[in-house]
Amino acid sequence: MTLYLPIAEMSINVWVLISMGAAVGFLSGLFGVGGGFIMTPLLIFIGIPPAVAVGTGSAQIVASSMSGAVAQYRRGNVDIKMGLVLIAGGLVGTVIGVDVVRILRRLGQFDLVVALGYVTFLGIVGILMLIESSTTLAKVQAGGKGRGRRAHAHSWLDGLPFKMRFRHSKLYTSAVPPAVIGTFVGFLAAIFGIGGGFIIVPALIYILRMPTNIVVGTALFQIVFVTAAATVLQSATNQTVDLALALVLVIGGVFGAQFGAIAGQRLRGEQLRFWLAALVLLVGLRVGYDLVVKPAELYSITPLVRGLE
Amino acid sequence: MTPIARLVSALIAVLVASSTVATANPAPAGPETDIARPGQLRTAQQQTKPKPSPKTTPPDKTRQPRPTPTAPVILSPPPERIEVDVSTRTIEVTSAFAGTEIIVFGTVLNSQQESAESGYYDVVVVVEGRGATSIVRLKSNVGGLWINTQSVRFDNLPLYSAIASSRPLDEIAEPSVFVANVIGYTRARMFPGRHSSKVTAEELEAYKTAALRLKQKDGLYVTSDYGVAFIGPALFRASIKLPANIPVGPLGARVFLFHDGQLLASQKATVMLERQGVDRLVYDFAFEHPVWYGILTVAIAAAAGLAAALAFRR
Repeated sequence: MTLYLPIAEMSINVWVLISMGAAVGFLSGLFGVGGGFIMTPLLIFIGIPPAVAVGTGSAQIVASSMSGAVAQYRRGNVDIKMGLVLIAGGLVGTVIGVDVVRILRRLGQFDLVVALGYVTFLGIVGILMLIESSTTLAKVQAGGKGRGRRAHAHSWLDGLPFKMRFRHSKLYTSAVPPAVIGTFVGFLAAIFGIGGGFIIVPALIYILRMPTNIVVGTALFQIVFVTAAATVLQSATNQTVDLALALVLVIGGVFGAQFGAIAGQRLRGEQLRFWLAALVLLVGLRVGYDLVVKPAELYSITPLVRGLE
Repeated sequence: MTPIARLVSALIAVLVASSTVATANPAPAGPETDIARPGQLRTAQQQTKPKPSPKTTPPDKTRQPRPTPTAPVILSPPPERIEVDVSTRTIEVTSAFAGTEIIVFGTVLNSQQESAESGYYDVVVVVEGRGATSIVRLKSNVGGLWINTQSVRFDNLPLYSAIASSRPLDEIAEPSVFVANVIGYTRARMFPGRHSSKVTAEELEAYKTAALRLKQKDGLYVTSDYGVAFIGPALFRASIKLPANIPVGPLGARVFLFHDGQLLASQKATVMLERQGVDRLVYDFAFEHPVWYGILTVAIAAAAGLAAALAFRR
């Protein structure tokens, strides 16, 4: 059964898309991430134009992060105030990012920037997570306890202005760092078609020192709004959101995520982080491979339609 | 051999010779022949010379004409014209669209061909989408990474092009005839547009070749050397496959009739590729109201996420 995608302008097997959505949904449920960093390269790999893959990826993340955010909110794991500061920054970052996409597409360097960005961010985050999770695993195996939450230490971040009290996070800190983090993640969301969970979660833990139990919920809360804004802006600026593609991916993703979440309960946190790190690195290496190895076809052709000028 | 037969073969020889003399006295073009070619001179010359009826002596280039049982009738064969049409004038591109096939068919009026197999005429069918500027980019190695470094723009490159012919094009006529009638996307017609990198003539040639190769690889430029078949002395047909990735828009079908390397007649038909159903709604909405389209997409995605959270709550 094939489906003609109205914006990507191609015909593709529905079951391929649904199983992709389910596989990525499974991983996202398993690891508690949005899965955008796997979905976007996969879409490009099966022939969806990169710009459409990025625009549509954002829409798919709205659905997956929405279901996660609602579940977290019910458990009281969302710091709304912190979330709003992150969103405020995120919206600014998204607006900038969508415009950067437009400029890069015109220059013909969008694909390159996406690939380089993936290699850089997935590489850095993957290696950091791998080191952290393997040292924790080693400690646990040596009989010690896993690393707990570090006590709040004073740093130069506390000297910044616009101090705010975040009751839920038990923090009294400047609003500048979360706003900057939000901006950065919003920018990445727009350019790479990701939610940015794998960047915002470590940032909230290690930079803002938020309690880990409310980090994931707050990150998901921010991701819903930032990817929603990214979707609307991509549609308005680049017309690269394919509703039919998004819908099919969401259907697969919703089911996959539930099975992933069940499977995730059987694994320990540091084990999950170890395998997630391995997956992140693998995707990064795969994208990097195409950049370094001489391609079989050195030329590419892009028709200028839809007023991309 | 009767004297009549000798007369007929001499006549044929004169006719063939005269058809190679170009631009002496232009023939009046028929209403359907929109391109006047030297080939039409043949008919002009014929009007002044007596010639046997085509029914009794089919002018087959491979065989000697048969002797006619009756005296030669003084009658000039009228010029050939063609009438063409397509099997489907409007193709609906819906969410189930997975490519399709159209039949371009036509008939030769005043055909002088004896049978479908005689090969007296050659027919070339060109089906093309609208033209658009295409950017061809070249990757090169910069510090170990393969990145796009140069680009050349070709204006008015058809988004889709299919050429079907009764024989390979180089057997039908000289390349100049095809260039003059824009049959096939000949490289000679590709000029670098604005914003192109500065490239040498050789490099430009490589870009042109690459552009055509990439289009062929995507299935958007296709040639079919024996894709046109005669079904009778006058009726011919060509089946043209339209791939699923064909850009939506109007398609023009042009049909050319050749004999002996000369263009005798040409005719046009149009096929519309139109989005229909949900696909059309989505596409129009996305491009006419992109902000609302984005909001709708987000609303649907958010609703799906909410529904999932509620359905699977434990």
